[in-house]
Amino acid sequence: MAAVEAPGELLRVTIDDRQVEVAPGSLVWDACEKAGVYVPVYCAHKKLEPVAVCRMCLVEIEGMPKLQPACATRVSQGMQIRTATDQVRDFRRGNLEFLLLNHPLDCPVCDRGGECDLQDFTQRYGPGRTRSAITDKVHFDKAVRLSDRILLDQERCILCWRCVRYYEEVTGEREIVLQERGVHTLVDTFEHRELQSEFQGNLPEICPVGALTHAQYRFRARPWDLRRTASVCPKCSYGCNIFIDAREEQIARFASNDNPDVDDSWLCDRGRYSFPELNRTERVLNPEARLGGGRQPVAHSEALARAAGALLRVRGDHGAGAVGFLCSPQVTNEEGFLLQWLARQVVGSPHLDHRLEPLPELSPEQFRLGIAELEERDAVVVLGDAPERSAPVLTLRLFKTETKRRRRVLRVPLGTPAASLLEPLQGCRSVGVVAHQEQRSEAVALSRSLAGAGLSSSVLTLVEGMNARGCQDLGVSPAVLPGYQPAAEPGMHGRAILEAAAAGSIKALVLLSPDPEWERDPAFEAALSEVEALIVVTPWLGLASRQATVLFPGRTVAEKAGTVTSTEGRVQRVRTALQPRFPFPPDLRVLGELGGALGTPLGVQPLAGPVFSLIAEAVPPYRGTQGGLRADWGAPA
Amino acid sequence: MPEVKVLTRHFGAPGVTGLEGYRRVGGYRGLEKALRVGPEAVAAEVKASGLRGRGGAAFPTATKWSFLPQGVFPRYLCVNADESEPGCFKDRVLLEEMPHQLIEGAMIAAFALQVSHAFIYIRGEYRRQRELLERAVREAYSAHLCGPSVLGGEWGCELIVHGGAGAYICGEETALLDSLEGRRGQPRLKPPFPAVKGLYGQPTVVNNVETLSNLPYIVVEGGAAYAALGTEGSPGSRLFCVSGHVQSPGTFEVAMGKTTFRELIELAGGVRPGHHFKAMQPGGGSMQILGPQHLDLALDFKAVSDAGSSLGAGALVVMDETTCLVDVSMRLVDFYRHESCGKCVPCREGTYFESELMHRLEAGLATEAELGTLPDVCRAMDGRCFCPLGDTATWFVMSAYRMFPEEFHSHCGAGACPVRSALGAAA
Repeated sequence: MAAVEAPGELLRVTIDDRQVEVAPGSLVWDACEKAGVYVPVYCAHKKLEPVAVCRMCLVEIEGMPKLQPACATRVSQGMQIRTATDQVRDFRRGNLEFLLLNHPLDCPVCDRGGECDLQDFTQRYGPGRTRSAITDKVHFDKAVRLSDRILLDQERCILCWRCVRYYEEVTGEREIVLQERGVHTLVDTFEHRELQSEFQGNLPEICPVGALTHAQYRFRARPWDLRRTASVCPKCSYGCNIFIDAREEQIARFASNDNPDVDDSWLCDRGRYSFPELNRTERVLNPEARLGGGRQPVAHSEALARAAGALLRVRGDHGAGAVGFLCSPQVTNEEGFLLQWLARQVVGSPHLDHRLEPLPELSPEQFRLGIAELEERDAVVVLGDAPERSAPVLTLRLFKTETKRRRRVLRVPLGTPAASLLEPLQGCRSVGVVAHQEQRSEAVALSRSLAGAGLSSSVLTLVEGMNARGCQDLGVSPAVLPGYQPAAEPGMHGRAILEAAAAGSIKALVLLSPDPEWERDPAFEAALSEVEALIVVTPWLGLASRQATVLFPGRTVAEKAGTVTSTEGRVQRVRTALQPRFPFPPDLRVLGELGGALGTPLGVQPLAGPVFSLIAEAVPPYRGTQGGLRADWGAPA
Repeated sequence: MPEVKVLTRHFGAPGVTGLEGYRRVGGYRGLEKALRVGPEAVAAEVKASGLRGRGGAAFPTATKWSFLPQGVFPRYLCVNADESEPGCFKDRVLLEEMPHQLIEGAMIAAFALQVSHAFIYIRGEYRRQRELLERAVREAYSAHLCGPSVLGGEWGCELIVHGGAGAYICGEETALLDSLEGRRGQPRLKPPFPAVKGLYGQPTVVNNVETLSNLPYIVVEGGAAYAALGTEGSPGSRLFCVSGHVQSPGTFEVAMGKTTFRELIELAGGVRPGHHFKAMQPGGGSMQILGPQHLDLALDFKAVSDAGSSLGAGALVVMDETTCLVDVSMRLVDFYRHESCGKCVPCREGTYFESELMHRLEAGLATEAELGTLPDVCRAMDGRCFCPLGDTATWFVMSAYRMFPEEFHSHCGAGACPVRSALGAAA
């Protein structure tokens, strides 16, 4: 039957009378997917090696006497696959009857009810009712606390091994094991130890049933009540793709939204479980302005007029250099770009930053390497532990690079000379250097030395803050203009602006989504109490909102639309997952309208789309990237 | 006489369990000859002998060896001494009576395959046998029959005895490898097969104790002489473990293909007096039932296969008319339920379903409708499981149901086992 296959030649296979061509090495399951033929699976998972234990995917293959697991059988030329025969249907029904023998019927109180593969497959393929007279099921423990994050219902487990394999293949931590045997088999941690992993939150996601559940999500929502919005994890600069699942304008959970080039479908617990801070109800709810003695709620237009008036007054009395602009890296690209427009073009001040500490010598060379490209390097050198502490999901990519892709991963201390790496890198032609942004100069120097030794080398730096990379690309910093063009007259960096404000040379401050952490910094407090005019756009109550002379209610990252740029330069969309609790315009419009009120109309609608067009005009590498592509900064100089 | 003596010819010779006694009956001449003639010649003799695996699957040994990829080292030999098949105790006898015969066979195979590490994986419950074996291995080491330089030559091979923890599944060769590596004993996904990627990811041959114990004879006497003991389709001799309702249960070595079930049962003294033959299970707990009509079948791979069963691991359990086949089925199914490793759904849950059903049936509690689910349950298991354990968990019960349907039906709603009730009434 099978013709001789030339390497690389596509294989033609037939699935239920549909013909598809697939690459050699493909699984029958892949071919079915390509043909649009659905095959049910429990144990198989796109990111894990096949084990073929659940048997749900058994299909008929011509020439093979037994049904074969689609998840583990490689296709051959001319293979004829049938998934809808009586034999297959009969087996699926029988297999589901088996699975339900000892499965508790607690769907009504199970978090996975409504998004459970056991429910779904039983509906589609299973028997309507049991034919077994067994009245005493095999019982296991329910709601076993594996950690403060994860609960395990051992009765609901169908033993697909995904959690066990996840720990073996994806994190390497092996925290979950199988115990006992036969119908008494169960998954558990070894000796009931508490899970330690930083990546536990992926377990409930790969669990096909309600065995592993999030403690945080327990009894919180029904899947059909959730509104799902694709977005980006706000917790660090890595850019993991997520779904924000919300119920009644509250986030119920963050779920993974697989991007093979970024997160590869895995999230870290720090990011996944970070959403409660976005659900906080103590918020700035109204535009307010200082009138006479106290501050009062005012109309949005009134707030705009007062903010513009205050800024014009300071500029008139003290010059444009007396106005400082600060934002946190939580702003979108569009907001950051308009803030720098407001500072440089509208007010005319060079004093602008997205962070407090200085960041000299920024250049795209520090960001040449992409996350997925790590897997293609012969070796990866990681400088210190800061990169992985900054972006935990990087650890999983490095593990994959090392184990599945069999590349060398060298974790070296800071200050390691390039010469000492030449031996461990022997035989490698390409190398990637990974460093935290604080070590960018060392990383670039190391990379240049390695290049000097004949290796093809480039650098991936991890920046601090969700959109710090976007802020840097778009010139929301004192020394570079959008696109890393050097500023003719560099302004003051964040901390210098605060110190100048405290000292009296900065008279007005514009704060956009200030980092709540800054409030612990005495320089911040000193600056805020000294400035004449303090224009603040923030969602959060705190020092900044209290001290503001004009206050605009800001939006959280879950409440706005736009793009953010991840540390590797990938421009990704954030979307409005929640409606804000107030009827006032989003931050971006506040910035655009403020420019207009100061006498410089923006020229386009202050919406994410039109503003992105302005960005693409000013920063050519951003053209065409907003669908999730990396901005191309060109070959190394 | 159907009985022949190859494996058992020196059983009981003075001191034959030890090295000295074994040497007195010609022991280790096979290994010496093997080292003299070279690996290819040994493999050729094994091919000529037509030897087929004695662990149950009856795969031709020489063919199995030939699957090892050329030039990939290290490669390993594993001796499967995890004898756990219900009704099977031949490997135990070989280990107890002549451990050096196995060691010699293992070293011959190791030499033929140019292996530098051979492992004997012995069933966890075989504690005494393990002690005997380990003592024999120590003797072999001190006589340089294994170790870094075998018989003073260039080739060396370590021989390591490893005890299982008591799991039937570890007799399945890939589960054996996982267990040997220190993992949970569960079968591996194939391909890759052990010959390509086995122990520690290296090419590996797994052979049964009895299979390897034949090698000294084959090397010394020649493969053709061995093959001639049996028939063309079933060459050589073989050990059969006869148990159940016979007068003298035990292990008997007979010529393959030339001996009938009836003759084998006669060797064991025949069915116990005052009773008559009802059914038998060849091959151990896994294989299909045979009836009186099969008594004159030869112990021949093809003949038994044509009758719908198999010689399996070389057991024969004889049942007389006092036997309730529902009861036997129930007990066998319980065995599989207990031994299922839990890896795949149809075996893990199917053996549970089967066993619960058979318990209700044997107690006379099941309805006809419940009995009607039995073929469905077995159909969802047979050929659907990850490894043969789950498949074979259905073979005896389904074959017994087909051969004795009225016995199964008579249990439905009877309130008790009707076979047992009838026996009680007769007594």
